[in-house]
Amino acid sequence: MRNALAIAKKELSIYFTTPTAYAVFCGMTFIAGMMFLAALGYFQKMSLQFLSFQQPQLLEHLNLTDMVIYPLLRNVGVIFLFMTPFLAMRLIADEKRSRTFELLMTAPIRPFEIMLGKYLAALGLMAVAVALLALFPLIVTIFGTSGTMMNSGQGSPVEWSTVLSGLLGLFLVGGAMMAVGMFVSSLTESVVVAALVTFVILLVLWILNWQAGRLEGAARDVLDYISMPTHLDAFAKGAPALKDLVYFLSFMILGPFFTERAIEAHRWA
Amino acid sequence: MIEVRNLTKRYRDLVAIEDVTFNVGKGEILGFLGRNGAGKTTTMRILTGFLPASSGSAKVAGFDVFEQPLEVKRRVGYLPEQPPLYLDMTVYAYLKFVAAIKGVPRSKVKSEMERVANLTAVGAVMDRVIANLSKGYRQRVGLAQALLNDPEVLILDEPTVGLDPIQVREFRDLIRSLAGKHTVVLSTHILSEITATCQRVLIIRQGKVVACDDLQALAKKYQDQTREMSLEEIFIKLAEN
Repeated sequence: MRNALAIAKKELSIYFTTPTAYAVFCGMTFIAGMMFLAALGYFQKMSLQFLSFQQPQLLEHLNLTDMVIYPLLRNVGVIFLFMTPFLAMRLIADEKRSRTFELLMTAPIRPFEIMLGKYLAALGLMAVAVALLALFPLIVTIFGTSGTMMNSGQGSPVEWSTVLSGLLGLFLVGGAMMAVGMFVSSLTESVVVAALVTFVILLVLWILNWQAGRLEGAARDVLDYISMPTHLDAFAKGAPALKDLVYFLSFMILGPFFTERAIEAHRWA
Repeated sequence: MIEVRNLTKRYRDLVAIEDVTFNVGKGEILGFLGRNGAGKTTTMRILTGFLPASSGSAKVAGFDVFEQPLEVKRRVGYLPEQPPLYLDMTVYAYLKFVAAIKGVPRSKVKSEMERVANLTAVGAVMDRVIANLSKGYRQRVGLAQALLNDPEVLILDEPTVGLDPIQVREFRDLIRSLAGKHTVVLSTHILSEITATCQRVLIIRQGKVVACDDLQALAKKYQDQTREMSLEEIFIKLAEN
């Protein structure tokens, strides 16, 4: 475990002492901020419209969680889609390119520990990303009022249980994407190839359910199940089922498992 | 300490080394010679467990390199041809990381880092980022890394590349000071280095061992009527295709 932690610490220190992590997270919060503003603007417009109808009961249906935070968290999944290949690409490919892989492979550590250290660092990055994104619902909580609050004058403007479920969903999406990225990175020496291939795989997983609309029956269900947005959506709505958790966990277990095999394979060829 | 038996490594059609057999006793310093591409790096990579052999076996301290890799890796310090450095890290952070993965006990990390930093004279650059160091310093950081945790066996692939003449001399003194306690396998193209530091030489040509003997014995074997041949003459005679 000490070895894995040492590797995780080394990885994170490289991400955070070079501009990599800062550049990626700046881009992420900037784009998420734009999405957040757009959703807020829409919410404001709808509120004004409903007010002009003089129908307070309609206003009660407007709430910040469903109209601002839910679409935001869903859309952030798309940011992750672009961001994780860049974060994951160097995980193992870069070790091979810069010949430091030779150091890891000749040190008294197991391939499993190398993989575990790398993946822990990847999860650490995702935790930072999710923590940054949690600022948006926090801003809403501090400055916002919701329809129900106007009547009763109490409660939180956002439902934090739903928001937390959504944030957990994003962490799992990130973890699953990093797992794919890490495995691809373990197969090549080129970080560019690693990023591209990861992006293609993730994009396919992302848009697979676009086809589902045209299909029927089992085929439709299968496509729906394999595509990531279906499961992120369940978390963002605040009602994840076990299958959604299982979906992400299978990536987060299989990715590291295959990565470990790929590293071990170097000892054999 | 190191036993190599009939070691062969093939990369598809290319035979990198063939039927290499040699022994290195405890505390010996072995000079490993051969032209570029003769198979030196391949042999060293197999000895450190980085590459598997196609056939044959290699044992370090009685442990098979392939079957018990962790036991072997615990006892071997390895400096590859290109020092395995993380360019974005400082020397201090790098050595600390290597100390951790080599299993230096937590309480001894500091003193162990100081020890190798003194041996390789990198103390002055401890807080600098490796990317900004000169080639000689990078080489020495690589060497410091190999010396961490005081391994019984040192495998050094062209360790003096990029060092200035004074550093080369210091390096020789360092290697000589290791003799007796440590077993060292050292590859280099600088023959004077071998004569200055090693008791034995191993010369390979196109993946095959052509000589493995004491320096004096080699010189005797290849003497002509009037005088003993120098190592350079022997090397040229043996290693030329």
